Amino acid sequence: MTTQSASASTSAPPTTSLQGFDRTTSRWGRGTMLAGLAISLAGPLYLMFGLDYWPGWSPVVQAWVSVAVVFGVFWVAEPITYFPMLGSAASYQAFMIGNIANKLLPSAITAQQAIGAKQGTKKAEIAAVTAIVGAAAVHLVSLLVFVGLLGTWLASLIPDSVAEVFGYIVPAVLGPVLVQAFMAARQHRTRVIALACGAAGVFVLVRFVPSSSVYAMAVCVTAAIALSLALRDRTGTTDDEEATA
Amino acid sequence: MNTPSVTNSPVLWIAALGVFAVIAVQSIVYFRAAKRAAPAADMTDSELKTAFRAGAVSAIGPSLAVVLVAITLLTVFGTPVVLVRIGLIGSAGFETVTAQTAAQSAGVELGSTGYDNATFALVFFTMSVAGAAWMVSTLIFVPLLSRADRRIRKLNPAVMTIVPGAAMIAGFSYLGLTEVRKSGVHLAAFLTGALVMMLLQVAAVRLRRTWLKEWSVGISVAAALGAAAIAL
Repeated sequence: MTTQSASASTSAPPTTSLQGFDRTTSRWGRGTMLAGLAISLAGPLYLMFGLDYWPGWSPVVQAWVSVAVVFGVFWVAEPITYFPMLGSAASYQAFMIGNIANKLLPSAITAQQAIGAKQGTKKAEIAAVTAIVGAAAVHLVSLLVFVGLLGTWLASLIPDSVAEVFGYIVPAVLGPVLVQAFMAARQHRTRVIALACGAAGVFVLVRFVPSSSVYAMAVCVTAAIALSLALRDRTGTTDDEEATA
Repeated sequence: MNTPSVTNSPVLWIAALGVFAVIAVQSIVYFRAAKRAAPAADMTDSELKTAFRAGAVSAIGPSLAVVLVAITLLTVFGTPVVLVRIGLIGSAGFETVTAQTAAQSAGVELGSTGYDNATFALVFFTMSVAGAAWMVSTLIFVPLLSRADRRIRKLNPAVMTIVPGAAMIAGFSYLGLTEVRKSGVHLAAFLTGALVMMLLQVAAVRLRRTWLKEWSVGISVAAALGAAAIAL
């Protein structure tokens, strides 16, 4: 990383402080993610080796293999699929905080729209990171208070009907967010192409090859990026006629 | 429902709070880095605050939904494991499938009489190792992808103005269309949310009220859930 910042340090001072942002977020992003990884494994390892609840190799391996068969594609596909939407800094936040498509991305787009930051700019990236910090704050506090402290009590209190309604949170979030994503796109062609790719994934790919559902979203996103770039409007102007620096 | 005694072990509580602490530290470091870099990206202090607030407000609905799912799983996994696995890192869907798969490989059903401390250890271990795989692949791929990203930006900056929009529209339309096919209630929630969002966007521009944009996800999600409640 030092070589990269040195090679570009000939440009103006603002670039330097933006590089500082990249440096800090990637260094701390990786560090905190490694720490999170270690702590999240420490709990089960303590049970198995500290308290001696070792179930034996056979179920451990068998469980891991069955899970890897189901989720193995997600492990590789998700970080790659979400990277173009999140960028480097926010990827380290997202894969530790979780609920990316239904919470963190909506937060990020809303923040970008609220301050008029254009996608692809540094301002948009900083807005996304800041919005995810805000989302993380709400999430951590609500988990600690409503699950950690009051969880057992609330479980006996909340009527089933409320829980049932909240079961529809995913479509309830995706509808509005798709509208936002439409407004945030900077070329009309991108909107048409990307929507067609998403629809093709659901109505063609998954319909005729049901087993593709584990990687279909990655295929849609990749196809949308490739086609939008290949067929982009090269006359130089985006919808908002904003030239990026 | 049989809950293994070790699910509320103090060590598991410490590990759970440890993950919370790590995310809190990351958030603080990131926020300070954003604040420092903001002026160079033409971002004012008040815009930074707006971004934070917009992110926080938008997260209320989804966070409450996670809380509700988490609460229902407390008796299966105990509070500390639910906090880390369901609340953070993972998602309710993935983790429940993983847990069932793990329990079955030991020939046990979750919550049944055979669901003892050793089975719980196996379940928790499998969930954690599966979750760790996401982090490992993030740690491997993000540095590679950001190197490619930097090179592309240098060659043709216009490319990066197209990529995020294309990726998000394709991703959200894929996920959204998958949801609306599930039932009429899903469809009602999706359409109501989308419609209210459109109205709010128009209103924000017409009335020149930026706070409407800030609250747009919160308001439209509430409306969409209201529609789901009526349609149920």
